[in-house]
Amino acid sequence: MNLSAFRPVLRPANASKYPIANALRPNAALQRTVTPATASPFSSTSRMMKRKKGKGPGTDPRITAIRYHLSHPLTPRPLHFSRLRALRHWTIHRAWLLFLRRRRWAEERDLERQYQAMRSACEHLRLMDANGNLVSEAEAGGQGADPGVIGSGGKEVGRLYRAAMLKRGVWGSVPVEYARAQVDFPGREGWNHAWTRD
Amino acid sequence: MALRELPFRAASALCREVRPVVHAARPSLRRNASAGASHDVEHSSSLTVPPLSKDLVQNFDPIARSRQRRQGKKQLPASRYQYRSPKYYRGPLHPHQPPPPSDPASREFQPGPFSLPRLEQTYQSTIAADILTLTYQHYPPGYRPPKVENRLREWTGASPYFKNRPLRGPRGRGEELRLLHEPRTFRNIPKISRVTVHSFVPEAQENSAHLHVAGMILQAVSNVRATAHKARHNVVGWGLREGKYVAVTSHMEREDAHHFMAKLVDVVLPRIKEWKGVPGSSGDGAGNMSFGLTPQQVALFPEIEVNYDAYPPKMIPGMHITIHTDATNNKDARLLLQAIGLPFYGKLND
Repeated sequence: MNLSAFRPVLRPANASKYPIANALRPNAALQRTVTPATASPFSSTSRMMKRKKGKGPGTDPRITAIRYHLSHPLTPRPLHFSRLRALRHWTIHRAWLLFLRRRRWAEERDLERQYQAMRSACEHLRLMDANGNLVSEAEAGGQGADPGVIGSGGKEVGRLYRAAMLKRGVWGSVPVEYARAQVDFPGREGWNHAWTRD
Repeated sequence: MALRELPFRAASALCREVRPVVHAARPSLRRNASAGASHDVEHSSSLTVPPLSKDLVQNFDPIARSRQRRQGKKQLPASRYQYRSPKYYRGPLHPHQPPPPSDPASREFQPGPFSLPRLEQTYQSTIAADILTLTYQHYPPGYRPPKVENRLREWTGASPYFKNRPLRGPRGRGEELRLLHEPRTFRNIPKISRVTVHSFVPEAQENSAHLHVAGMILQAVSNVRATAHKARHNVVGWGLREGKYVAVTSHMEREDAHHFMAKLVDVVLPRIKEWKGVPGSSGDGAGNMSFGLTPQQVALFPEIEVNYDAYPPKMIPGMHITIHTDATNNKDARLLLQAIGLPFYGKLND
């Protein structure tokens, strides 16, 4: 795939304005030996511009650059290692995967601990009467999916549990002030006290 | 250098067997980083090297081996690592199976993650725990949810063709089978699974430059190669012709998605004037939320802004952003996005 026609002109053409500087280049001698047919054209206009002449404005050079870089065929070659380097790479990669797995596991254990704590706390609240005493399952309400069911112990049993299970104001209530991504260091002005919601 | 060290290494490896074990457990008052850390490491580690076997030690004769090699009797195997993963997956019964994508030799291998995005760090440390607390629903121990009855309808009638037919979907036009809602546990906290950026450029049918600029902008913004899509049907009202390239998308996952969301929430959206938020009517009921940005808003992305002169200003496209989450309903997805920093306005679609 020859994309030289679309290649953007990123730097001045080969023919330099300063012949002395050109002659000082190490490959200047090589350039002279090139046959005239393949040498740079007479005019300094790039080929794209020349071809478009007379048919209206040429393509925007920015678009040419974008097209060139989008269709760039040069992708990095795949990794090919010798035996020991491949084994080293593989070992480090396995260790990295192990590390990631352990970190994920630890995060999940954290959440599990929190979940179990919430669960046991809710269970305590469900079985607690007004005086803080534990009641039996028959006296407590909240069996089944509906936490609002009241048992034989009356309304006072599990009152806090029913209040905790009310999801009033939970959905769609996160204030925008909550959403601050954590950073390494606090900002220069830690909090803008003058800010109001309007 | 390494080759010169080799005899010494081999000798020390051999002597390790003979050395008394007591040395290793000797208590020391000085705690160095190298020595003291060994107490913290657990004993049954997969990283420890098993000791050499006896016959390997006894048969170890490097001089004889090198002499054999010099005589051309026993050559070393080729030094290049020759394994190539197969280009196509040819089914589970094919003898040549590709390695898993986590293997560096696999063609699907993606290295990384190379960074811990701020948003991901915040999610892990704060947002996940808070969402779990907010949405926790208690069920007393021993509670079993009632069995879900048949969600699909059967074909009732006398026709003999109804036999063995697949079940019918829910009643109603455009109705789909909704996702099941599982009770919230520590395992199914909603998180961002994917972000899709899509940009529709109908002008690309006349001038492909629009498509190229849109693809380049999407690639710059999302760090993922954009894919072009053809129009599937002729739509006269929109001037669409079948088979013409009219749109570009790119899908972001994991690290890319988190970086993109953080950029969007912290840099782009605060700079939009009079931005009301994500429309509350957004959401497909399966945890995906989408909203759109105009070309002027797209130009606020830092990647576009620093290099604004590289794009023809009239060709900068608008884009649709779809955030795919693990949630199974709109409420959970909205709660997650609000916690990340996307406000919603208007009537909410629940």
